[in-house]
Amino acid sequence: MKRYLSMAVVLAAVCLSGSDYLINLAVIVGLYSLPALGLALLWGYTGQISLGHAAFYGLGAYGSALLSMRLGISPWLSILLAMAMVGVICKGIGWLVFRLHGHLLAMATLGMGIIVHIGLVEMHWLTGGPNGLTGVPPLSFFGWELISSTQVLPFIWLVCLAALYCSENLIRSGMGLAIRTVGESEMAAASLGVNVPGLKQAILVLSGLFAAASGALYAHYIGYLSPGPFDVGFSIKLLLMVAIGGFAQIWGVVFGVLFVTILGELLKPLGGYDIVVFGALLVCVILYCPNGLLQLAMRMPFKKTLAARGGES
Amino acid sequence: MSRDILAVDNVNVHFGGIKALNEVSFNIQEGELLALIGPNGAGKTTLLSAISNPGLAQTGSISFRGEDITRLPTHRVNRKGIARTFQAGEVVRSLSVRENVMAGGVASSELGWLSALAHLKKSRAILDELSDKADELLRLVGLHEQAGMLAGVLSAGQQRLLAIARAMATDASLLLLDEPGAGLNEVEKRHLARVIQSISQSGKTILFIEHDMDLVSSVARRLMVLDRGHLIADGRPEDVREDPAVVTAYLGVSGQSDKKRSGRSGFHPVSGINARKFLAIQDLSAAYNGVPALNQISLEVQDGEIVALVGANGAGKSTLLKSISKIVQPLASKLDFQGQDLRLLAADAVVQRGVSLVPEGRELFAAMTVLDNLLLGRQPQFSQDAWWRQLLSGRSKDPKLVQRLDFVYGLFPILRERRHQLAGTLSGGQAQMLAIGRALMAEPRLLMLDEPSLGIAPQIVADIMKALVELREQGVTILLVEQNARAALEIADRGYVLASGQIMTCGDAMTLLNDADILQAYLGGGDFNAAEAPRIRLAS
Repeated sequence: MKRYLSMAVVLAAVCLSGSDYLINLAVIVGLYSLPALGLALLWGYTGQISLGHAAFYGLGAYGSALLSMRLGISPWLSILLAMAMVGVICKGIGWLVFRLHGHLLAMATLGMGIIVHIGLVEMHWLTGGPNGLTGVPPLSFFGWELISSTQVLPFIWLVCLAALYCSENLIRSGMGLAIRTVGESEMAAASLGVNVPGLKQAILVLSGLFAAASGALYAHYIGYLSPGPFDVGFSIKLLLMVAIGGFAQIWGVVFGVLFVTILGELLKPLGGYDIVVFGALLVCVILYCPNGLLQLAMRMPFKKTLAARGGES
Repeated sequence: MSRDILAVDNVNVHFGGIKALNEVSFNIQEGELLALIGPNGAGKTTLLSAISNPGLAQTGSISFRGEDITRLPTHRVNRKGIARTFQAGEVVRSLSVRENVMAGGVASSELGWLSALAHLKKSRAILDELSDKADELLRLVGLHEQAGMLAGVLSAGQQRLLAIARAMATDASLLLLDEPGAGLNEVEKRHLARVIQSISQSGKTILFIEHDMDLVSSVARRLMVLDRGHLIADGRPEDVREDPAVVTAYLGVSGQSDKKRSGRSGFHPVSGINARKFLAIQDLSAAYNGVPALNQISLEVQDGEIVALVGANGAGKSTLLKSISKIVQPLASKLDFQGQDLRLLAADAVVQRGVSLVPEGRELFAAMTVLDNLLLGRQPQFSQDAWWRQLLSGRSKDPKLVQRLDFVYGLFPILRERRHQLAGTLSGGQAQMLAIGRALMAEPRLLMLDEPSLGIAPQIVADIMKALVELREQGVTILLVEQNARAALEIADRGYVLASGQIMTCGDAMTLLNDADILQAYLGGGDFNAAEAPRIRLAS
C-alpha cells in the first residue's frame, strides 16, 4: 500500500510542478508500464516469451480509435471492445501454440507483430496507411474532455495502478504459485494437477488485455495514430523494460520503463540507431544481471540481509 | 479385486526403435507400499511416466479405481488422485520451501481468476489453508525448519523430500516416487525410509523406484523388477532377491555363450618396469551441484588392455568416464593420458589426443544417415584441414577416410548395408554399433564405452563384446562401463568394482567374476543370508 501512496504523491507532485516535460514523461511511463507489466507476467513469471506485444498494443489503439470514430460510440466503451477483441485474438494464439512444446509463442507472436504492422501500413481504406489516422476522439469525463497531459495523467495512472495491484495479488495468490511452477518446470506443474496450456493461455490473454488497454488509452490521448510506434522495435523495447526491471518483479517493471524511456530521450541524437543500443543493452542485461539492473545496484545490501538471516537460523 | 487402486494392463511404450516397456501388466491394491527396481535403462521411470501421463503408452490400458484413465492428460490424472515426483526433484528454486508445497495444493483449491486478481476474501482464505497444510506436510517429511528458505538452497536429497511433500499436497491417494533415495548418505536414507513408512501408515498407496536393496527390503512389502521393459519378477522382497531371473538381470548373462575366450590367450599385458601407464588417475573426485558422485578414485589402464568398470546404478561409473573425457570437470591430483595432463583440456581437445567416449544412451543424430553420423566422428581429422579449403572444395582432405570407413564397416558389416538409412530408424543394437563406429572414426587410442549393452538383446550384446575383443587385437585400449558385469568381465583383462563413488575392489577379471563382493555391490547384503549366496550364483 505504501508503494501505491508514494506513487500517487510523486504523480501529484509532477502535476503540481507544471513542467510539461515531466508530466508528459509520467504519462508515457504510465502508458508503457501496462504492456510491460503484461509481458513481465508472461515472460518473467510464466516463462513464455512474446516478441509481438507491440501488435496487441497497436490493435488496441487502432481498434478503439476506429470503433469510436466509425460507430460514434463513447471512447470508454470502444476501449473495452478493443480489449475484448485483443483478448479473443490472444486466446486463439494461445490455443494454437500451447498445445505444442518449445518456443513457439515467440515465433507466433513475432509473425503476428509483423502481420499487424503490415496490415496497419497497407490497409489504407481502414487505417489511413502510413499517413495515419487523424481525429481520434478524446476521452471525456462527465462531459469534460480530457485533452491535455495533465488531464489524462490521473486516468492513465489509475488504470496502471489497478493493473499493478491486480498483478501483485495474482502473483501472491495460489494462482501465482502455480504460475511460477509452470515457469520453472512445466513437467512438475502438470504432475501437480495444473492445467499448463490453460494457464499459459490465460496469462497470455491477461497480458494482451493490459497491452490493448494501454494502446487504446494512448490513441484517445494523442488523437492521431500512425503505424510507426507499433512495429517490432517497440516489442523489443518492451522486452528490455521487463529485463531491466528484473523479469519477475512487478514494481521493477515501472523502473524498467522509466529507465528505458529516459535512455530513449538521451539517445534521441542517434535517431533510428537507438535500437542498436537497446538491443545491445538487452543482451547485456540478460547475460550479466538476470535479476535486473535494480537488483544489481542493491546487491550489496541484499547480500548482507541474507547473511543476517543465515546467522539467525 | 475391488480393492485394486491401479490396474496396468498390457502397456507398451516405444521410443524410436527401442521398446521401453513391453506388455507390462500389474495391479496395485489400496494401501500397498511397493518398490520398483531394475538395472539401468530397464524402463522404470518410463513406467512411472506412463502411469502419470498415460498418453505415452502406445497400446494397453491403465485404470485408476476402476476408471479408465488411458486418454487423460497429465493434470487430469493428477486430479483423479495420482501424483509423482521426479529424479531431479523439479522444485521451484525461486520459491520458498513452504510455497513449493503450497503450489501443489493450488489445482485442487478451485481458486478463481477474479478472486486471485482482486485479492478477495476467498483468495486469502485459500492461501492460509494452503500454508497450514504445507506446514503439516513439511513436518511429516522433516523439512519444517527449512520452510522459509528458498528451495534452491536445499540439498538434492532435501529437494526430493520437498517434492514428496508437494506431491502429497495435491491430495493424491497414489504416490509415485522416482528414486527418492538417489545420492543420499546412510543417515539420510534411514530418514527417507521412516518418511516413506509414515506416509504409508497415513493411508497412502506408494510405488517407489530405488536402487539400494537394503533400503528397499527394509521398507517395501512387495517388490517388482523390470528388465529391458519386461516385468520379470513381482513378489516379497526376500523371494525376489533369490529369483534367478533377477540375479541374471543384474549381473547379466554370459557374453560368449560357448565360453571360448577367443584371442585372450594370445594377449600378454606388458608388466613390470616396461608397463607404460597409458591412463593414470589419482585421487579423482567429482560432484554434481555439491552432491558428490566420485570420491578420491585412483585407477590405471595399461596399453592394450580391456578394463571393465562394474557396479550398481549411481555408483559413479558414468561420471568417471565423463570426468576422463572432461564432459564433467573433476578434481584430481593426476589425470594423465600417454603422459599428457588432461586436467586443463576441454572435451574436444581430449578427443584430439585419442580418447573417445561412446556415451550412455548412444546420443546419435537421429535425423542424419548412418554414413553422416560416421563422418561426424571424423571431425578431429577433418579439423586439421584448413576450414576455408573445406569451404571451397566442399569436402575435407582426408586420405585415410575411406580406409577408416572400411575398418568400421568390417567390424560391423550391418552398418555398410544401412549406410544411407536414417540413424533414428535403427534398432537398439544397430544404433549401439553405430555409436561405437562413430567413436572409432576418430582413431582413438583409448575407447571408453558407457553401458553398451543397455536395452539390447543378449545375442547382440555377444556380437558387440566380440567386436571389442577384436578391437583390442588391433591395439585399441578399452575402458568399459557395464551394468552387465558378467559379459564385461568375461572379455576384460582387469576389472574395478565401484560402489557409492568409491572403488570397492579391483583385480583380475576372472577372479572378480567369481567374487561374491560383486553380487553384494549390486543387490546389497545387509540382511542377506550368507549361506545362501553361493547357491544363487551357481543357479544362474
